[in-house]
Amino acid sequence: MKTSSWPIRSLLPLSGLVLFIALWQMLSGLYNHVIIPSPLEVVRSFHSLAVSGELWEQGRQSIARGLAGFGLAVGVGTPLGLLIGLNPVAASLFRPVVVVLQVTPLISWLLLAMIWIGFSGVPVFIVFVTTVPLIVINVFQGVNGIDRQLLQMASIFRISKARVIQEIYLPQVAPYLMAGVSNALGVTWKAVAMAEFLSVQTGIGASMAVARINLETAGLFAWTASLIGLGLVTDRLLSYLTRRKLSHWM
Amino acid sequence: MIVSLIKFEQVYKTMGQTRVLHDFSFSAGKNKIFCIIGPSGCGKTTILQLLSGLEQPDAGRITGLAGLRISYVFQEPRLLPWKTVAGNLDFVLQDVVSPAEKQELIKSYLSTMGLYEYRDSYPKALSGGMKQRLAICRAFAFPHDLLLLDEPFKSLDMPLRLGLVRYVVKMWQAAPRTIVFVTHDIMEALLLGNRIMILSARPTGILETIELDLPHEQRNVGEDPLTSLYAKMLAMLETENKKYYPGL
Repeated sequence: MKTSSWPIRSLLPLSGLVLFIALWQMLSGLYNHVIIPSPLEVVRSFHSLAVSGELWEQGRQSIARGLAGFGLAVGVGTPLGLLIGLNPVAASLFRPVVVVLQVTPLISWLLLAMIWIGFSGVPVFIVFVTTVPLIVINVFQGVNGIDRQLLQMASIFRISKARVIQEIYLPQVAPYLMAGVSNALGVTWKAVAMAEFLSVQTGIGASMAVARINLETAGLFAWTASLIGLGLVTDRLLSYLTRRKLSHWM
Repeated sequence: MIVSLIKFEQVYKTMGQTRVLHDFSFSAGKNKIFCIIGPSGCGKTTILQLLSGLEQPDAGRITGLAGLRISYVFQEPRLLPWKTVAGNLDFVLQDVVSPAEKQELIKSYLSTMGLYEYRDSYPKALSGGMKQRLAICRAFAFPHDLLLLDEPFKSLDMPLRLGLVRYVVKMWQAAPRTIVFVTHDIMEALLLGNRIMILSARPTGILETIELDLPHEQRNVGEDPLTSLYAKMLAMLETENKKYYPGL
């Protein structure tokens, strides 16, 4: 897009957004505000949630749970993916487990988690089980895509196994890990809200349950906006970090 | 009489579906420069891979390699894209030389190859020839008893090739080590080799082994015996090439 000047480039997505809001405003005029609240009502609701401290109070809990499950998934999934990629025995042992983990319905995990670890731990657990396969599979693919010629080079120059893992495998896997982390973060905030909705009394998901019962549809929209915001901020942050860390050689 | 150090004895090797070496034997002398020349696809690289231990023979014996520290210039640069120019040298040197010596080696080899000002660049910023020069630096700087060179100067221009050939000679005269040098280039082989092995097209056989005792300073491409050897080798290789490309 070299030919279009900056006002065109920044105006085009902006006008898309304006169009969307205009359409929404129009629809809200046709229906009751319990069905579709107007954009202004949503903004007002968001504002009152923010001012009362409710947004931060609930959001903070969701963020903590999401990051705990996500962090656990990265911490467990990265070494597991490396192990599966490097060791054929580990591969035949763990790959089916990862696949089963990935296709198990979320609702089964939810119910099992309630039985196994009690309601309070459910959101963290759900985030963990939904994101860990994404990390494992991406890391595994990174290891699989390793450049055999570089490994031969390292073996000629008698580089130790530990250094080969640290200085050839890890950098090679890094872009794959980052892709996995990005996917996982996208899933994290959706999973945490879903789990909170069904299992606990606090957090964004639980607040959405309350808003639904009280027919506060504008509140529902406001909480949804906070989840979208959370997803966007973490996604941007991650791609900024990835660019800073990897762009010099990629 | 050259004291044989490295020996292939009736070596058989199949790579994938292709029978590359079939009852293949030769020997290379200790601390001499051994050149292998032949048509492409005749198994030159396979011989180097067997020498380096990256590949094992299907049958036969390879002797004289025990305990040798090997260095290798591959046909491709094989650099680590996430390490800088200096970092790529550091990668192979850090476990084998002291930190002070390492800095010294990196500086002197990069300067020799005209790469010192690019020491903090990443390989993606280098041209093909620069990458190859860095790979040559890496192999030369790494302490070794046996140096394997697989068409190392292929992607470089003519004056630089000649310069590097002279440089290898200087390096070898200062500290004679066994060098096995694979090339397409007859002139490189004649300027470098103490012994030149000319290979046939597959199934790989030895067309001729030329012993060249002439000191390197006295070698001149414009004078005999190099001129007549050049003509002889060219004729031999041309005949071999016809087996690959009957239409030419």
